[in-house]
Amino acid sequence: MASITIRNLVKNYGGVTVIPGLDLEIADEEFIVLVGPSGCGKSTLLRVLAGLEAIDGGELMIGDRRVNEVPAAKRDIAMVFQDYALYPHMTVRQNMAFALEMRGAESAEIASKIEEAARLLDIQPYLDRRPKALSGGQRQRVAMGRAIVRDPQVFLFDEPLSNLDAKLRGQVRAEIKMLSKKLKTTMVFVTHDQIEAMTMADRIVVMKAGVIQQVGTPEQVYENPANLFVASFIGSPSMNFLPVDIQADGLRLADGSLLPESLIARPSGDHGKLTLGIRPEHFELVQEGQGLAADIELVEPLGSDTLVHVSAAGQEVIVRVSPDLRPKAGQRIWLSPAAGKAHLFDPETEIRIDGTGKAD
Amino acid sequence: MAMKPSDSRWLDWINVVLLVLAGMIVMTPTAWMILSSFKPSYEVIAFPPKLVFTPVIENYVTLSKQTPFLSYGINSLIVTFGSTVFGLLLGAPAAFVASWTRITWPAVVALMARMAPGTLFLLPWYVMFRQVDMIGSYWALILTHAVITLPIVIWVLLPYFDNIPRSIFEAAQVDGCSPFRIFRRIALPLVSSGLAVSAILAFVFSWNFFLFSLVLSNSQTKTLIAASFNFIGEGSTNWGGLMAAATIIALPPLILAAIVQRWLISGLTLGAVKG
Ligand SMILES: Nc1ncnc2c1ncn2[C@@H]1O[C@H](COP(=O)(O)OP(=O)(O)OP(=O)(O)O)[C@@H](O)[C@H]1O
Ligand SMILES: [Mg+2]
Repeated sequence: MASITIRNLVKNYGGVTVIPGLDLEIADEEFIVLVGPSGCGKSTLLRVLAGLEAIDGGELMIGDRRVNEVPAAKRDIAMVFQDYALYPHMTVRQNMAFALEMRGAESAEIASKIEEAARLLDIQPYLDRRPKALSGGQRQRVAMGRAIVRDPQVFLFDEPLSNLDAKLRGQVRAEIKMLSKKLKTTMVFVTHDQIEAMTMADRIVVMKAGVIQQVGTPEQVYENPANLFVASFIGSPSMNFLPVDIQADGLRLADGSLLPESLIARPSGDHGKLTLGIRPEHFELVQEGQGLAADIELVEPLGSDTLVHVSAAGQEVIVRVSPDLRPKAGQRIWLSPAAGKAHLFDPETEIRIDGTGKAD
Repeated sequence: MAMKPSDSRWLDWINVVLLVLAGMIVMTPTAWMILSSFKPSYEVIAFPPKLVFTPVIENYVTLSKQTPFLSYGINSLIVTFGSTVFGLLLGAPAAFVASWTRITWPAVVALMARMAPGTLFLLPWYVMFRQVDMIGSYWALILTHAVITLPIVIWVLLPYFDNIPRSIFEAAQVDGCSPFRIFRRIALPLVSSGLAVSAILAFVFSWNFFLFSLVLSNSQTKTLIAASFNFIGEGSTNWGGLMAAATIIALPPLILAAIVQRWLISGLTLGAVKG
């Protein structure tokens, strides 16, 4: 139970800078999810927090203790590894007891903590098995149990669900979220699964090439992405991007069609060519002849809703519609962005410049 | 590419033939040695060798009367056991640290020392041990035999340690474990089959090594294998006696290997660590 403060953190591997100066404040009891493309430095940041990697600059605080030089063993942090890293030669019980033994805890205390964690995670039947004799999901639970019994200052998770099948992942996701409410411990969770990020996080940290792009609640990051990268990274399928020209009478698209300016909070200042961003679910169907003409090329029914790939304004656009609509390839439909939902980005700086909401 | 059943049957056969061949190459001299040790001397060199004969223990009796064979054997055990333990005590932590830090040049130096001919060490050692008046002591032999055992232990264990997923060590670090405790509580138990393999190999190589004992021992501390050289060329060669001696010398490594063969096999195939 502690806050984390990262100030101007620098991490190099050999001559390569992986994190070039990163600032982040994590509040006590907060559930932070780190997302970003592969190789952006999420694991590196987590390992730096754990003390498994030395840092090359900046300052790292856990609570009000500066931990730059504190070894991993003394940071009072628990970590759940992607491959779980259970001790193969110990039983589940011994795995969970290990950290407590290292700390010199009484055996009665150890037993009761293991008992409690095992009940919480539903792993009592396996306590005397070795990890080899457990399924992936069971191992995952044991890894969590090993972290929980420690009662640490901070929990770190490095993609702990990526080795589980889709169904189990959903279940464990919900369990971790509930657990975090119960344990009231600061959590830092790395994933590149958007659903995990959106569903579990108090705040999401979006990273690219070692640089934080945006920090915000799932809603903020989704509704008001700070830049083109965040806009395209969060959300699936990705946001559609269309080049537009701001003119006196509205937004002129590449095919010449005109969208009414009232749909978008117009950015202040003088702008010419911009990038219009609209999520697939933020299109409305409008009357023939209005908005944007779109020719349906491919229909993907997902059950709960349907993805329609259309050709509009000279490029491919993906639109999410209700399955009741029963769209057919070859049809022509007319689309308009839902009011207040579309965004404008500066194509040079990639920063969002429309007036809706602050980035974070 | 999936292999057709007929192909795999052929491979099975080739495999069996090769194993039988290898077995014959290894086993024929061993069997010949053991059988001969129970033959009267004149029958040992008879040709063709007789497979059916009345076994006699005459060779063993003569051997024990002529030479203090038992005490040589005890010397051998002391030196071999001592140098194996010494090699393990130094070699296991060395291999762990080399694997952990990925700094392997000291291990390479150790291996080079092993590959150099033993005579290279003899002269300096002889001089050094004489200066401290240790010629003929067990310690001189144990320490010098560590040149044999230490590199074996390091090089057998290194891949075992390398094979442990690094995240397991990291989990232990995060769990509050000091490097020394990681070595003792995590790394060592996970390479137990490697320890068995390296101990046996070290034991066997140390047991069979005679050069240092020829020079650094005295009549009280001479090892079995060094002593057995005395049988050759002492007047007429006593073939039966020599075979009896060879059988006794070969016995401990064979028994040892038989006892631990389960670990040997699981150890030599590695992969035992992955959970
Ligand atoms: N030990 C190392 N030595 C050198 N470079 C490293 C090392 N570990 C990581 N890197 C590099 O640092 C960068 C960030 O790696 P990191 O593992 O933090 O990425 P990640 O965001 O966790 O990616 P993924 O989603 O694939 O796990 C990568 O370019 C990687 O190649
Ligand atoms: Mg990673």
